[in-house]
Amino acid sequence: MTVQELVTAVPLTVVSGQDALTRAVTGGYASDLLSNVMGQAQQGNVWITMQGHQNIIAVASLSNLAAVIVAGGSQPEQEAVKKAESEGVVLLTSPLGVFEVAGRLHRLGIAGA
Amino acid sequence: MMRRFVADLHVHTLLSPCAEVEMTPRNIVWHAAEYGVNIVAITDHNAGDNVAAALEAAKGTDVTILPGMEVESREEVHLVVLFDKIRQLREWETFVNAHRSGRMNNPERFGAQFVVDAEDNLVREKPEMLLASLTAGVAEISSRVREIGGLCIASHVDRPTYSILSQLGFISPDVALDAVEVSRRVPLTEARSRIPAIGTLPVVTASDAHTIEDFSTGPRTVFYMEQPSVAEIKQALNGQNMRKVVV
Repeated sequence: MTVQELVTAVPLTVVSGQDALTRAVTGGYASDLLSNVMGQAQQGNVWITMQGHQNIIAVASLSNLAAVIVAGGSQPEQEAVKKAESEGVVLLTSPLGVFEVAGRLHRLGIAGA
Repeated sequence: MMRRFVADLHVHTLLSPCAEVEMTPRNIVWHAAEYGVNIVAITDHNAGDNVAAALEAAKGTDVTILPGMEVESREEVHLVVLFDKIRQLREWETFVNAHRSGRMNNPERFGAQFVVDAEDNLVREKPEMLLASLTAGVAEISSRVREIGGLCIASHVDRPTYSILSQLGFISPDVALDAVEVSRRVPLTEARSRIPAIGTLPVVTASDAHTIEDFSTGPRTVFYMEQPSVAEIKQALNGQNMRKVVV
């Protein structure tokens, strides 16, 4: 399943990374502790978080994630958006809570480790 | 004249819901004098209401009280912020009050938040929920503190909760930190090697006391400097003008 298909099905708002939506998603991960995400999220995963700090982009880039979903109506900070654009990281948002986003992804066939 | 100052830059009073009621400003000052702590920063969670009582209680002693606060950011990162003057702390409190969640404390579940005077008399209970994140992020908090002339220190970076490293993975350049703090679990001499993410930032240690037992047993940071002030501490952290942190 590609990021674009998730964006349409959940649905999710694309904040940045329009060019990379064709990438295949390998699985999902949810956590607000970035130290934990760095160790646990796998390459190609979508990651759901409430954190909007610019470090989420560095973590996504470092772990080579397919996309970051900032859920629960939380807004990524302006610096995060700028960084996502410059680094080509797919940044998505949703007003739905983390649990609901994860549930919808799981129903679409995206599993966790 | 340069001399050694023993400092505890992170101490909670009974205003913090998680601190024991024995943590009155007067009792803290008394124990500081007893144990040779020259500088005590009063750093309650998201509030500064007991600082005035501590300043009053320290009059006529050789204990210097630094007005401070342990702030919780939007990312649930704890930051110790320190000032020289209560006027600066009041200015900082205006920022904090404008960025509260709006939730009220439940004393039965989270603990009471007592404001007291210098003689241990109860003045009032603080109704706002203090153990909660503000709506401002670490970058905004640290830059505002710097504008007011304060110091910003990342709390207990060795801990798995409420630390800038646990919450944000690493220290990003948008945060104006003057130092990081390690808890009693990590000796100051080993901090940099055990926690590489600290990088080149200055390191301090403090008791993060919630009880008199915590406060009495330390740890503390020893500064070599001329005056017990924020400006001098800042120079000591950076090893400037012969000032230094004694390790």
